[in-house]
Amino acid sequence: MSEPLVTVQGLHKSYRMGKVDLRVLRGVSFHLSAGSFTAVVGASGSGKSTLLHLIGLLDKPDRGQVVLSGQDVTALPARRRDGMRCRDVGFVFQFYHLLGELNVLENVLLPAKVACSTLAWPGRRAEARRRAMETLDRLGLSDRLRHRPKELSGGERQRVAIARALMNRPRILLADEPTGNLDSASGKGIMELLKQCNRRDGQTILMVTHDVSLAEQTDRILHLRDGRCNEL
Amino acid sequence: MYKLFLCLRYLRSRVIAYFAILAVALCVAMMLIVVSVMDGFLAKVERAAKGLFGDIVVESTSTEGLGLYDEFIAKAARDVPEVEAASPFILVPCYLRIPENNWNQIVQAAGIRLPQRAEVTDFEKGLFVQTGWAKPTFDPPISEIQSRLDGQIKFIEELRGKSLRPPKPEDQGYGTAERLDNALLAHYGARSLLKRAKDHQAAIAEAHAQLQATYGESRGEPTERTEALEKRLEELTATAGWLDPSRHIILGLGIRGLSFRTEEGKTVRFLCPGSKVSLSLIPLGSGLGATPSLNSKTFTVVDDCQTDVSSIDSEIVYVPFETLQQLNNMATAYSADKPDEVVVPARCNQVHIKVRGQTDERSLEAVRAGVERTWQAFHAAHPEAAGNVSVLTWRQRQAAIVGPIEKQRTLTVIMFGIISLVAVVLIFVIFYMIVFQKTKDIGVLKAIGAGSLGVAQIFLAYGAAIGLVGSILGTIGGYYFVRYINPIQDVVDRWFGFRVWDREFFMFEKIPNEVEVVPVLMIVAGAIVAGLLGAMIPAARAARMQPVEALRYE
Repeated sequence: MSEPLVTVQGLHKSYRMGKVDLRVLRGVSFHLSAGSFTAVVGASGSGKSTLLHLIGLLDKPDRGQVVLSGQDVTALPARRRDGMRCRDVGFVFQFYHLLGELNVLENVLLPAKVACSTLAWPGRRAEARRRAMETLDRLGLSDRLRHRPKELSGGERQRVAIARALMNRPRILLADEPTGNLDSASGKGIMELLKQCNRRDGQTILMVTHDVSLAEQTDRILHLRDGRCNEL
Repeated sequence: MYKLFLCLRYLRSRVIAYFAILAVALCVAMMLIVVSVMDGFLAKVERAAKGLFGDIVVESTSTEGLGLYDEFIAKAARDVPEVEAASPFILVPCYLRIPENNWNQIVQAAGIRLPQRAEVTDFEKGLFVQTGWAKPTFDPPISEIQSRLDGQIKFIEELRGKSLRPPKPEDQGYGTAERLDNALLAHYGARSLLKRAKDHQAAIAEAHAQLQATYGESRGEPTERTEALEKRLEELTATAGWLDPSRHIILGLGIRGLSFRTEEGKTVRFLCPGSKVSLSLIPLGSGLGATPSLNSKTFTVVDDCQTDVSSIDSEIVYVPFETLQQLNNMATAYSADKPDEVVVPARCNQVHIKVRGQTDERSLEAVRAGVERTWQAFHAAHPEAAGNVSVLTWRQRQAAIVGPIEKQRTLTVIMFGIISLVAVVLIFVIFYMIVFQKTKDIGVLKAIGAGSLGVAQIFLAYGAAIGLVGSILGTIGGYYFVRYINPIQDVVDRWFGFRVWDREFFMFEKIPNEVEVVPVLMIVAGAIVAGLLGAMIPAARAARMQPVEALRYE
């Protein structure tokens, strides 16, 4: 059996709410193999997004480990965590979180610009642009390149967000309720898109959702309850 | 790469940033105007001091003055190689009067030697008849005076043809039109005076030639013929009304009542070359004595001089050095018993020295020390030359005037600098708002791998860019304001009757309107630093923001 892409081991995380410590995760452990499409389901407030943020290096656990490609990333210094987040992780959020000042193409190119220094950018711009256009074309947005996010529908915005997440060819795509803000038709389209990315390109995806019907379309479902994770 | 990209994008798309740019631009323009006007004012004071005194002043501290000045000048030129030229100078208070109409004014009479004076200062640049002449004189050709006067008459006639301001209450019935009429009458009168002088000039020259020839024939012995010719020469001179060059005077163009300025800032004379004035003074050269007497002399006006320093132009008249020396009892005094024996040598008040090459403060001080040593050696050899003498650079001589103005300038710049801190506060507030508005963007940026430093740099670059753009706009606005500050003042005066720059008070005719590069660069750098400072705390807040919290921010 090949080495897992992500290993989550005994993950604990709590938040302070006033004078009370809210223990959200209480020893979550699982593995994700490369090329898998996994859904995490659970009730609202069960810690699904927190788990995603910890795996995506946006937050640090109180205890436990997240091992990405054999490397424990929880103990890494901030600069290296930034670098890994840029290269190895792609995020898709429920509310898209596109930058309103930028058009579609600029939003998608942004991760490539973050990954590149000012001096190196002129040499890499053409390749980054080609890749962004290719991705947008694949996601059916080639006629929307110059549009601002506010000029797009919800489904289109989420497709732009997926294109942005895929821009740096991440090892893992973390999707936080990607269809949660969409109508059913658009949600279905996005789900198809994610499945396509997984099947055609072998993209590893970890998706958080509260919609069981969506979760059932994935390879594997993890259920988060009472701060612990069980496979369904 | 994303930092510069986002910074420029935010700069273009955030309307609120325009207010920060406007605040910076206004502060930069304000600072530029204040610094330029104050620096220009200071530079004018310095130039005026140099224009009056040359680079170094050797000055007697007693009213008796400084004797053997020509010998000292020759020694200084020999011993101090940096001394380029030197000229003696007398300055005494006197009473200037126009005999025809009893107009009078207390002024300062400056005894100068021409053309040497032009080698020491820029005296010739401000002359009316002899403007820019390398060798100005107290005896310019009458034809030149006539030509300049004709030009003035034409100019005044043209002005008279225009629609002119009616008299204001304070004008006592004299509006511009009435003043121009009076000036024209004075110019016509001067023109006929000059014509008479010119007409008789040929006859005087002819009579003078005849007299010389007759003396030649009589081998220097007076005859009836020579006596008759001498008498005729005297009569011709009196009729011509043109005194000999030792009694010619150059007036400062700014003496109250002798000229006026039109609304366009043009000077029109009431007293023209060719006219007569008289100077009266209490001679201080030999001490006041028990009963001070008054020495008077009539002069023909041959030119006038404008230095742009109101306090000089309104107070100083220039007469030949030797003439003023005599009037002020500073000429050579001989023994009553032995007419060839000099009791007191001829004296002046000051010797003005022009220094060759670089005249920065340090090198000027070195030359001053050299001149002082030369004076000490000279004084040791000639103790009769003077008692107490000071040798000062022009800056030291004018320290009492320049020093306070320098301090005033520094104080004003500091005060306006403090006011400009408003821009820093405004940028801080605006950036704080922007960072709040951009909280989610910051979360997204961090989610896609931007580091805290990178996020901070976006906002710092944004602040610096606001400083740069604001300072460029402010510099352009400030530059043009300073450039056209005098016409702007004229418009404000015309529309609202409010004049900021009073030439009597500020000593100069016009508000300084030059912009120097170094202060501009310093102000621009200051504006960029202000932008950075204003953005610093919001940028630090953005950098510290936790991405998870930022993404959840509503």
